[in-house]
Amino acid sequence: MKGKRFTAVILLVFIICTLAAGCGRSGESGGENDDNISYAGGTLKIISGSENKELEPILEEFERREGIEIEMTYKGSLDIMRQLGEEDIPYDAVWPASSLWLTTGDTDHRVKHAESISVSPVVFGIKQSLAEELGFVDEEVSVSDLLEAIQSGSLKFCMTSATQSNSGASAYIGFLYALLGNPEVITSDDLQDPALRTEIQNLLAGVDRSSGSSDWLKDMFLQGDYDAMVNYECLMIQANRQLEEQGEETLYVVYPYDGLSIADSPLGYVDNGDDDKEGMFLRLQEYLLSEEVQNQIQKTGRRTGYTGVSEENRDVFRADWGLQSDRVLSPIKMPATDVLFECLDLYQTDFKKPSLTVYCLDYSGSMEGEGNRQLVQAMEQILIQENARKNFLQASENEINILIPFNGYVIDTYTAEGNGSNLEALYDNVKNQMVGGDTNMYAAASAGIEIMKNYDLSKYTPAVILLTDGQSGGSPSDFKAVYESLGVDVPIFSIMFGQADETQLQQLADYTNARVFDGREDLTEAFRSVKGYN
Amino acid sequence: MKTKVTGLVILLAVIAVAVVYASVGRSAVEITEINGYVGGEKIGLLEDEDVQEILHDRYGLVLDYAKAGSIDMITADFEGRNFLFPSNQTALELYRQINGDPLKSEIVLNTPIVLYTHSAVAEALTGAGMASVKDGVYYVDMVKLTEALEKGTKWSDIGMNQLYGSITVGTTDPTKSNSGNMFAGLIADTLCGGVADESNIDEVIPRIQVIFQRLGYMESSSSDLFDQFLKTGMGAKPLIAGYENQLLEFAAENPDTWDEIKGDIVMMYPTPTVWSSHVYIALDDAGALGIDALLDEEVQELAWEKHGFRTRVYDTPTDADHFGVSGIAEELTQIAPMPDAETMDRIIKALS
Repeated sequence: MKGKRFTAVILLVFIICTLAAGCGRSGESGGENDDNISYAGGTLKIISGSENKELEPILEEFERREGIEIEMTYKGSLDIMRQLGEEDIPYDAVWPASSLWLTTGDTDHRVKHAESISVSPVVFGIKQSLAEELGFVDEEVSVSDLLEAIQSGSLKFCMTSATQSNSGASAYIGFLYALLGNPEVITSDDLQDPALRTEIQNLLAGVDRSSGSSDWLKDMFLQGDYDAMVNYECLMIQANRQLEEQGEETLYVVYPYDGLSIADSPLGYVDNGDDDKEGMFLRLQEYLLSEEVQNQIQKTGRRTGYTGVSEENRDVFRADWGLQSDRVLSPIKMPATDVLFECLDLYQTDFKKPSLTVYCLDYSGSMEGEGNRQLVQAMEQILIQENARKNFLQASENEINILIPFNGYVIDTYTAEGNGSNLEALYDNVKNQMVGGDTNMYAAASAGIEIMKNYDLSKYTPAVILLTDGQSGGSPSDFKAVYESLGVDVPIFSIMFGQADETQLQQLADYTNARVFDGREDLTEAFRSVKGYN
Repeated sequence: MKTKVTGLVILLAVIAVAVVYASVGRSAVEITEINGYVGGEKIGLLEDEDVQEILHDRYGLVLDYAKAGSIDMITADFEGRNFLFPSNQTALELYRQINGDPLKSEIVLNTPIVLYTHSAVAEALTGAGMASVKDGVYYVDMVKLTEALEKGTKWSDIGMNQLYGSITVGTTDPTKSNSGNMFAGLIADTLCGGVADESNIDEVIPRIQVIFQRLGYMESSSSDLFDQFLKTGMGAKPLIAGYENQLLEFAAENPDTWDEIKGDIVMMYPTPTVWSSHVYIALDDAGALGIDALLDEEVQELAWEKHGFRTRVYDTPTDADHFGVSGIAEELTQIAPMPDAETMDRIIKALS
């Protein structure tokens, strides 16, 4: 029993350290304000799939109880996998949607204590009336049935990017199986089939809009007017709650019997050799797996525990929304790792709908120096294919990239089709352009929209990306007139540089259902996110 | 307010001094911290506070680890590691081939390879003649099961209409992790009609490839696979290969949960099966300290009582009642030897 005493001593030392740290911290900040929560226990940085955003209230309760601050960074699960492959992992814990990505990413065995927190299948959510029309209500539906509806044009849907997010990757692999006539497992040979190529290209052309991670997809879906989405069962429940609240039509959930996939949401500790962090992590994990919190998590529409959905929470999984909490879920077989990555490469370079991207590049006087340097560097990451490939950003064969450098006016327009040398040649234009003059980003964006009128946009995923500091003259209403004359929902994204001011950019993003990114903090992340929406 | 805070600070200071005094006074043993690669199924044992206490108090050891598959760890970077703790002797043989004899090595724990499934699947397998029940223990006929795996028999062919696709045994990746590796060895033995060796392995390799290629992506850790088996339900993982100790440990650690799900979870012993012998490989002198510590009688006792490993003392589990798990085989008479390291290496290469 000596050991017990030792443990007690350690515990006491810990408590004292905690208290002491707490005193120090409140002392520094003046100490008078009792409302300020001071996180005496330290901070846990977690990189997580965006679907866990819905669990924030539960994490905040942990922060209050334990005095440990949780700092969440949201990314798609495949981006998390890539992060795990980096030499330096600036996080204490990872929380991707599926252990598949944790295992394939953790090649150096740095993740410890990984445990599934909850389970949620990837499903199709289709507007109730459309699901009825298609004959999917109260019926057993296969992925092929869904494919048929998509191919005939009666079902349009949104999904996340297959190279960034678990739900998108699952749906994509599910489609490949169905198109190949459901082989036992997908092999590398199967992927060479030219018929498959045509079919999957047609299929992905039916993707309305795409996003880099699942919760963002849900938000985008709620803001826009779409028919269907591929997402987690739990996010369908969240979306339906909101739709019902807004008095709008809810989604009917379809579980293909030949399967999409099941996300097991593993939370693992990144072992950087810090015992305090490890202790904090284990407390968080214990909290999340405690009976009380597992029940709360179940109330958000996730399946928890070993015994299925409890009697108490049956009404969370509403049958009138098509939810079946006691259904036997048959996920697809993920192909072997090397084949899986071949599938993902093909998606990026060959299969997905080609993008048509207009880059509006700010060369006005306010960008001089740092701002311009950042802009040129950013374009180098995307135009020079060797750089782009590292982040799954490489251009595909049929995509179109248009550059519009601007100041107070549109300076010039450069177009490159495909992924050949003319694309990389655009970089010279970026590098050599002089900086100076006023700013009118509205004129540049309008020019971009005008150019799009020359293309059949149903064949592309169009987007405008402003690379700017955001301080612009010009007229938003003129731009709106041009935008509306196009009649297509083109997102206007922004990546901010230099002495950036977000206000005007955010207005444009809100107006076009897009987002603003900070290119100064994490450029690759910004591009990946923008490309994910592509 | 201020005076109260001062009072508290003084009190804390006094306690702090007392604590430092106390801990200095008792740290007669010098503590060695060792670190190694460990197969996931043994983490429960190494995280056990009672085990840690014995290691610390009696042997002056703190044992830290990184999780790695048994085959994977042999070829991993050993920098900063004092030991390896894989789950079979093949791993030791592979180690010898690459690095020569280790400083010291010893079998510390044993557990047989078993199959886990749900009661509906167990019944269907029994109905199809692939499994049988004797004295409340389920046994699986490896010849018949292997035949079904090879032929691609559908679940619906044996009456499991709610399951999609062919009958498969989910395993960990045989090229990385032990339980999958041993199950591949067992399949090889079965196909060869005896112990697979270098004289007969080439003939059956294409057949082994067919069976494993059908699985697609495979987990790299036995503990992850088992956890998913329990959590994602019958449709996702109808039948998996794992260690006997995994279920015993789960039942001992989570008696209430086990009580709720034990009606549905079935453990089945392949006939024949193979023993997983968890061998501790010391990479240096500090690492070697771990061997005696883990062979401590009380640690070995805890290894069986709480974690379900059959140890030297507990070869035949006469006292398995405390797990509350029905269908534990008291004695396993039909044991196949694993193919030797060269043969296993051929299998691993064929499946890579």
